[in-house]
Amino acid sequence: MRDRLLHLLFVLAVLSLFLIPAFSLFSMRQVQELAVTLSLSALSFLLLVLTVLTGASSIWRDVERRYTFSVLGLPVSRADFVLGKFFAIALLLAVVAVVLAAGSFVAIKIAVSVYPADIPVNWLNFAVAVCFDYLKYVLLLSLAFVFSAVSTSFYLPFLGAIAIFMAGSASQEVYEFVTGSAGKDFAPLARSVVKLVYYVLPNFAAFDLKPQAIYALPLVPGTLLLTLLYFVCYTGIMLSLAVWSFSRRELS
Amino acid sequence: MNALEISGLTKIYRTKKQGKVAALQDLSLKVASGEIFGFLGPNGAGKSTTIKIVMGLINASAGSVSVFGKPALDPQARVKVGFLPENPSFYDFLTGREYLQFVGRTFNMTDEAIRNSADRLLDLLELSQAADRPMRGYSKGMVQRLGLAQAMVHDPDLYILDEPMSGLDPVGRALVKEIIKDLKQRGKTVFFSTHITADIEVVCDRVGIVAAGKLRAVDTVTNILQSGVEGYLLQISRAGVVEELLVEKSQLQQTLADLLSSGAIIERIEPKRKDMEAFFLDILANQSAAGR
Repeated sequence: MRDRLLHLLFVLAVLSLFLIPAFSLFSMRQVQELAVTLSLSALSFLLLVLTVLTGASSIWRDVERRYTFSVLGLPVSRADFVLGKFFAIALLLAVVAVVLAAGSFVAIKIAVSVYPADIPVNWLNFAVAVCFDYLKYVLLLSLAFVFSAVSTSFYLPFLGAIAIFMAGSASQEVYEFVTGSAGKDFAPLARSVVKLVYYVLPNFAAFDLKPQAIYALPLVPGTLLLTLLYFVCYTGIMLSLAVWSFSRRELS
Repeated sequence: MNALEISGLTKIYRTKKQGKVAALQDLSLKVASGEIFGFLGPNGAGKSTTIKIVMGLINASAGSVSVFGKPALDPQARVKVGFLPENPSFYDFLTGREYLQFVGRTFNMTDEAIRNSADRLLDLLELSQAADRPMRGYSKGMVQRLGLAQAMVHDPDLYILDEPMSGLDPVGRALVKEIIKDLKQRGKTVFFSTHITADIEVVCDRVGIVAAGKLRAVDTVTNILQSGVEGYLLQISRAGVVEELLVEKSQLQQTLADLLSSGAIIERIEPKRKDMEAFFLDILANQSAAGR
């Protein structure tokens, strides 16, 4: 928490929470919906910035600054080192998510008190949406760790994580487009490539529960469970890959 | 049981320009418990590579290393080891005291034991004033001294110190030598690398000389100094006049006989020895000659 970047992000978070009730009033008819949307978007954006910056600079920075010589000279295995850093950052993200969710709760309450909506906010849905958003960024963090474990510069983990995030957020739509009626015009090879990329890339769209939180739509437990299972498997594989890569790395 | 056993250690780097480069070739040595072992060699000789392999930071191309009988790659092998890397670097957003706490916790020390040990070491290494300041404000010498403190915090049995005197002023160097002597008295084992021969003479029991990735010599410091007698300085008096003569080792007996028969009084016979530096330079010269 002594990183100046975190202080800056904290100021940004507080500012965005203060602005949510004010910006929500721009929509006279959907104040509540806009307040929930803005809250979840602000929370998601801050988690994204925090994930990319801390994840990308985690292992790489320790190697570059030669901290690893000191730490790995202690009775600490490479796996402990990688997993320890991963869970520490994941915990930081959890704390930030909880604090921002609590702030969002207050901001939404203020916005809604001015113009009450016909459908009240479903706070359970809101909480679940925040949880799954958090899981999405933990998954992204594991990917950033894979890049960071093998990289000798900041750029690969930083740009790699952003690229994967963008591709993984759009992959569901691209997949549906290519496998739908419009995809019949594509060559079979192109369709196969898109399918392959779809299965390899993390599907971040699966973690997006904003509509359920904004419009109080019912949650489907089976889908949530499958997404949770997907998160556990994908994150586990990425962490195994990060540990394996870092264990083979020469710290010379 | 030996504190450290290195057997047939070889490290080959692959570089784009030079292809395969052998940083270490078939290096074997043993360091007994309670011994102070100096690992002497010029820059680029392979000292740090050896230490990095011992600490599991890089993998050997061939050979094995064990620490108190455990393979060096096993993190448990480092439980009894205090390690000071060359030009150490620590999480500089932490204070010196916080870093010692962090290290103590990785060795499962109690909070009270860490506090006591940290206070004692910070005082010993003259870091008490700076103990609660972030390390990013430390000088190079202060970081080096903190590096020594973190290697000592859990009172290990084996110390592996890579260039421990590097970056220290004369006072700091003297302090580190005193600490190493104290560790020797307490039965600890110290394996330290250096390229400064005077450090070896003062504190070491044995020395291993490494050059161009090969171990060129291993012997006790006493043996090296005794075997290096080049000649003798004779102090004599003749008719009330004191003189000094430098005599070659092979000529000593004959010279003494001649002097006594001439009525000279022998007042002092002092062997003139090679120092560790001369021994070290001889080995390097032999290695260079062999390489030509």
